[in-house]
Amino acid sequence: MSITVFRYFFDFLDGQEKWLNRMAKDGYRLKRCGKLTYAFDECAPNEYEYAVEFVGNQAYSKAKDYRKYLESMGFRTFTKNINLNFSYGKVRWRPYAKGMGQIATSPGGFNKEILILEKRRDGKPFELHTDIHNKLSIYKTVRRAYAWAVLMIVLLGAMTFIPNVLSVSSPMAWCLRIALLIFFSLFVIPTVKYSSLVKYLKEESKIFE
Amino acid sequence: MTETTFFVLLAVYKPNHGYGIMQFIKKETNGRVVLGAGTLYGAINTLVKKKWIAPFDDESNSKKKEYLITHIGKQKAEEELQRIEEVLQLASTIIKGDRNR
Repeated sequence: MSITVFRYFFDFLDGQEKWLNRMAKDGYRLKRCGKLTYAFDECAPNEYEYAVEFVGNQAYSKAKDYRKYLESMGFRTFTKNINLNFSYGKVRWRPYAKGMGQIATSPGGFNKEILILEKRRDGKPFELHTDIHNKLSIYKTVRRAYAWAVLMIVLLGAMTFIPNVLSVSSPMAWCLRIALLIFFSLFVIPTVKYSSLVKYLKEESKIFE
Repeated sequence: MTETTFFVLLAVYKPNHGYGIMQFIKKETNGRVVLGAGTLYGAINTLVKKKWIAPFDDESNSKKKEYLITHIGKQKAEEELQRIEEVLQLASTIIKGDRNR
């Protein structure tokens, strides 16, 4: 039997990964994912394990090559959106990305910011990044994505205070500001979390490789 | 040179693909060093860019990309071996000398 679940994650890496692993523990194997949906097939509890990887900073060709490589390493892969994009038509700007990764098109790399990887549970930790320098660069990349979301929300929030920008009544404007404040805190928490991880690893990297 | 880099270089003295490199390192270090797939991918790409290793073309197996160490790569590995030998010698002298005191 298969089930479909609606979910959206602001904590798109750790939160999503934990949730997928909880589902796997309860005997559900990911079949496919849509923008806000996840379809699962029933399987034996604890049979599979998931890891979530951020690839939204990479150009489409690079992200595709990485996916192909991971499949050759024996993982099953899925792509997933994060909706942290600031868009105009079919071309999206990803301010947190590097080089060609800044421009994402649909069809193309847009809505494929995340890779979900599946392996059979074998008792060993599902670690994709084991080198301290490598971990450091991954955490910095993720922090940049969250920090841009925070910045955009702050800018939007500031705009609501400019006279004649909003064509809604004052109570509505305050509702909007409260909504923005909620989004702000949702993105600030992971930004701070990844910042402290980066700080910790920087210290460690002075001693260990 | 990081330990990861050195091990990857050693793993491609014979043509080897990603999974093979990972298994080689795990086996040769008796499981002490287990590289994550993401870390290995980064290491391979950096080494290819630096031309220390190169894709090895073998038509028989197109699905898994194989790599082989280059001339520059071997030179770098030699230098690293020498460095490690020097470190080993110094560390042995000091630590063993202290133990016997």
